[in-house]
Amino acid sequence: MENIRVCDVEKYYGNSTNITKAVDRVSFQVEKGEFVGIMGPSGSGKTTILNMLATIDSVTAGHIYYGKTDITELSEDELSEFRKKNLGFVFQEYNLLDTLTLEENMILALTLQGEKRKNIQEKCKKMMRLLDIEEIKDKFPYQVSGGQKQRCACGRAMINNPKLLLADEPTGALDSHSSQVLLETFTRLNRSMGATILMVTHDAFSASYCSRILFLKDGKIFHELVRGEKERKVFLQEILDVLSLTGGEMADVR
Amino acid sequence: MLGKLAYRNMKRSAKDYLIYILTMTVVSALMYAFNSLIFQNEFTGMMEEDAVMPIMIGLATFFIVLIMAWLIHYMIRFMMEKRGSEFGIYMLLGMKKRTIASLYVRENLLLGSVALIIGCGLGILLSQILMSIMASMIYMEYVPHVTFNHWTILMTVLCYGGCYFLALFRCKRRFRKMNIHDLMESSRKNEEIKEGHEGIKKLLFPLSVLFILLFWTVFTHLTSTGEIVLFIIGLVLTIYLFYMGLSAWITCYVRKKGKGIYRGQNLFLLRQFASKVRTMQFTMGTLTALFTLALMGASLALVFSDYEDKILPVKFPFDVLVNSTDPEDNFEDEREILEKYTDTEEMYTYHIYTDEGNQVNTWMLTNLEQWGDMYRKNNGSSDMKKIQDMLKNGGTYCTYDTYMGITDYNHLREMLGYEPVSLRENEYAVQIKDRLKDDAKNIGKDLKITDKDGEALLSFGGLYTDAFSQDGHNGGDYLVIVPDRVLERMTPYYAEMAADIKGKAPADLQKRLENLTEEEREFDGDAAPALEGNSCIGSDNMVVYAAVNLVRDNCIPEVKVLLASVMLPMFYIGLVFVCVAVTVLSVQQLSDSAKYKFRYDVLEKMGLKQKEICKIIRIQLAAYYLCPALLAIVISGKLILTFSNFFVRATGVTTSFPGIYFGKSIVLFMGIYIVYYIVTYVVFKRNVFLKKFGQK
Repeated sequence: MENIRVCDVEKYYGNSTNITKAVDRVSFQVEKGEFVGIMGPSGSGKTTILNMLATIDSVTAGHIYYGKTDITELSEDELSEFRKKNLGFVFQEYNLLDTLTLEENMILALTLQGEKRKNIQEKCKKMMRLLDIEEIKDKFPYQVSGGQKQRCACGRAMINNPKLLLADEPTGALDSHSSQVLLETFTRLNRSMGATILMVTHDAFSASYCSRILFLKDGKIFHELVRGEKERKVFLQEILDVLSLTGGEMADVR
Repeated sequence: MLGKLAYRNMKRSAKDYLIYILTMTVVSALMYAFNSLIFQNEFTGMMEEDAVMPIMIGLATFFIVLIMAWLIHYMIRFMMEKRGSEFGIYMLLGMKKRTIASLYVRENLLLGSVALIIGCGLGILLSQILMSIMASMIYMEYVPHVTFNHWTILMTVLCYGGCYFLALFRCKRRFRKMNIHDLMESSRKNEEIKEGHEGIKKLLFPLSVLFILLFWTVFTHLTSTGEIVLFIIGLVLTIYLFYMGLSAWITCYVRKKGKGIYRGQNLFLLRQFASKVRTMQFTMGTLTALFTLALMGASLALVFSDYEDKILPVKFPFDVLVNSTDPEDNFEDEREILEKYTDTEEMYTYHIYTDEGNQVNTWMLTNLEQWGDMYRKNNGSSDMKKIQDMLKNGGTYCTYDTYMGITDYNHLREMLGYEPVSLRENEYAVQIKDRLKDDAKNIGKDLKITDKDGEALLSFGGLYTDAFSQDGHNGGDYLVIVPDRVLERMTPYYAEMAADIKGKAPADLQKRLENLTEEEREFDGDAAPALEGNSCIGSDNMVVYAAVNLVRDNCIPEVKVLLASVMLPMFYIGLVFVCVAVTVLSVQQLSDSAKYKFRYDVLEKMGLKQKEICKIIRIQLAAYYLCPALLAIVISGKLILTFSNFFVRATGVTTSFPGIYFGKSIVLFMGIYIVYYIVTYVVFKRNVFLKKFGQK
């Protein structure tokens, strides 16, 4: 698959008298198989960027290319089709359908694609084994832990082999152990299936699993960190350093 | 401050529960309109039976107050649950529970008052429509005009207040038991899907289907009250258990990974439906019961209305018909009145004769389908003891058989505009009610009518079924028509006078004739007739209008008003029940649409187009709406078919298909249904796509 390019994207909210600039001329690129994190304080515009990449929000100006396709030019119906074929989602609130069991949540993702019954069953089995949720497949979301729910959500997102997995604060509601398991799952998906992942988080620990991190503030990218061959611990320290710089805020400097 | 808060909250609730307000308004309009029939009926005093209407409306109102109390109670509880976290915040701010409770009650009363005021306004219009309908029934001119009547308003306010009183009765208690944490949490909690012994519960589904099938096949043949009561109890159980079974059945199907779930959005729809039905099974059952009652009410009303259209002209073929138990009566006084008040074309006096036997009566009692085996012994022969008893005391038929000479018969036929019939000297004919013609087709084979000497047998010369006023005037159900000379060996049984008048009879003609009859009675102290048991009413058993004097133009409006007194309250109940039921359905769905909006967001993120999501919503709503309606149709269908078959048999209304009444009421209710369905769908869609529209 080709890379994803975000070119000079802007997003304004509000009306003529009161405009909020959520995203201010942001450009970046995500290569195939990358695990990119977007970090920033609340209100920095990270979720807005994710939503625009996810095609569930429109840009005010600029372009987003998935390979050669400019999704800012697509119609509502084309976007739905695009989403179905290319994207997978994981959110902080899990977003599993509460009326379906974990397995059925995955099945539904496939039946919506019009897959054959046999394929569906095989894919589900494989994915559940990969994510270690086979034993709880017949449970309803409310019956399992947050971590298990989130793993299931990952499974549902990945089961169609999407070109991009979008994760918005996936560990936000998880305890530290579950977070770790989930992030390891992400890493595994990234490595073994070659999944491209874009994750929004404000948690440094979660971000340390990424291969590259974009730091956002007031709608602009102000820094970028690349992990390269560094140990995760070292990378985490680097992230914390950047955060302390911003977290301490400019007010402290003044 | 609290007043302001209550007002604001009321405004917000009105927006959220628009459908509920709509229903409350419609119901109060209906209440006002029907109450106006009690207090403002401008036709009161014109009819003999005008006390029936207030009684029937009062009875209907009783049921309506109960059901409305249920609706309000349901809604109050429902809104309370939805607003739990808000109440929690009030309590955190230090408001006392009592204050919150009274705030909430005040809000609800405010909401109810708004609906009541608008409803009364609409009710004034509606009452004029009802009046016009009534006026056209009794052939009167009516100019609609706006009137206020404080009794009508008072009664409406009282009924409406009664509903609220019943509904709010235990409301405060509920507040006393609240706790802040639970309240704040309550809105966050989703419905938990508790799946227990679905495998066992699932059996309830085929069981209830079986019971309904059994009900369809067996119900018509039930005879004893005990069996019928047992069946009705079974039906009520079925209505409630059906939903438990249905949801378990779907759940098991999904769990078993049936083929169907792998197609499109089926999995989502099935699960959604099953979980909703499971949590709502009791409410769904109650709604089904309401629909069943509503459909039955409306169908019965239609049955009566059809009866009115088809039977009334046939019931009263003569302009005026006067009966006298005294065969010697020459109707002098009646003639005088008729001549004085009407423009008579002809007055014809004649006799009904009898041979003092009762072979025809016996034949009728043992051969008509409606009597079954009631007058037969176990071996099939006639039970003469029972028959004699019936003829002496029953009043259906005269004690002795009734005969008429061919000359009188043909003269009367001529008056009615029928072709005269010819009868040979050795023949007899039978004039019978049209509805009995199938039962009576073999009557000629069994009767042995002899000639004037009582020796030679007459042969059967024909069966006539023209309308002939056979509810006691020209015989009860039947007359045997014989050549005039045969009458020589018979005795006059009673006297009749038929009159043909030009134009319409004055409205009080019947009353004048009746006064005369009473005077006569007083005068000769109810003189014993020549032969006893010479008055009867025939075997019609739905609506019988038996009177000594029949003036068509007076009788028909009278009967129509009487029927309207039954019909209108039935429609009233039907309408209110359906509105209540669909309101509950709609409100449930709409609150879900807000609470479970995320489900549709998830579907959208999974790549479903807006169009596809709308389709899912449509299917989901349709299934949810149709389920109780279909079950109600299946159940009430049998009850109504049984009843209308019985009705057709009893009255002889010629309807090609008795189900037609039922069909019509389904169409009527589906109309209401569709209005609610569309409104719900539009609001549902708005709720689900709310954020999106807000963004753009």
